[in-house]
Amino acid sequence: MNAPLGNLGRSPRQQFELSIGCVPLRLQMSDAQLFGAASARYAAFTDAAAQPITIALSDGAVLEGAPAEFSYEFEGAALRAFSSGIRFDGVRNQYALDSLLRVLLSWKLLGRRGFLLHAATIVRNGKAYIFTGRSGAGKSTVASLSPEGSVLTDEISLLRREDGVWRAYGTPFWGEFRAAGSNTSAPVAGIFRLLQAAENRVIALRTAAILRVLLPNVLFFSAEAEANRRLLEILSEAATEIPCYELAFRKNATFWEVLPA
Amino acid sequence: MITPAAVFWQKNPALAWREIDDETIIISPNDSVMHELNDTGRFLWKNIDGTKSAAELARLLVENYEVTPDIALFDAQALLEEMSSRKLVVTVPATRGISP
Repeated sequence: MNAPLGNLGRSPRQQFELSIGCVPLRLQMSDAQLFGAASARYAAFTDAAAQPITIALSDGAVLEGAPAEFSYEFEGAALRAFSSGIRFDGVRNQYALDSLLRVLLSWKLLGRRGFLLHAATIVRNGKAYIFTGRSGAGKSTVASLSPEGSVLTDEISLLRREDGVWRAYGTPFWGEFRAAGSNTSAPVAGIFRLLQAAENRVIALRTAAILRVLLPNVLFFSAEAEANRRLLEILSEAATEIPCYELAFRKNATFWEVLPA
Repeated sequence: MITPAAVFWQKNPALAWREIDDETIIISPNDSVMHELNDTGRFLWKNIDGTKSAAELARLLVENYEVTPDIALFDAQALLEEMSSRKLVVTVPATRGISP
């Protein structure tokens, strides 16, 4: 939903609503150029849900103010979360907006039994296969080897536990694959830590080993102890309930042959 | 080397930690570093509660492992020093007399 708001003596504020991983968001901003860029970038995630989290953007300097429940600064831009709403200050381009949205989502997902993971997600036979690893591990390679339309994301996956089932959602945060992401979800088949090798091979991992795989690849930005305890609780649940494997793979589509159904 | 002093040891309250698969996983929120403990470290970790000195923790080692008091105290102090350097544990002033 795109709509102009009141004119406050400068460009009229505009807003649009989107949903990422069923987290409803409403972005409000005055910068027409940024609004156009953001509307295009998040077009596939446009959604008018009830009670969205309102985010007021400002391209001005980061303002001092009342203590926030959560705050994060990134290259001159700042996120501050208050009980009354969210402020993104110093946002002058799409890159900054994208970065702060990831930070906000990582924090908001704590209350929704979810987390963001550096991972590509591919849907195959109705199930989500999640391929994780650091930059260069092969996330974009896996995405590029997958059929068009099956890639929910090639960079940042969103996982949530809903009604006892872990689901993976697409996100608009893409990597080298340059896909726009897909605003759909699927039940998780498994998480695979990528290792490029001369032959395809999978090895099942134990719970503690899964945590070792997940932790370096989880996007999380709060240094607050309670938030980290909650994150560890969610990750422990995921590590216990989601099958996880190490996947050594050749750079071609034959790796699917060794994945568990 | 840490010397016995009028302090008790407690887990750093800023940490997140869990027992999984008989392993203790500890996360430092400030740097998202994951720490793991060996068997003796796990035993100490379970018993570090802000009410025990290094000597008292060493005594628990003697009661639960086949180890002499001297070696237990050496091991306990070394592990506490290691955990302290990783900011996993902190000291608090002893609230009662510490037995030698």
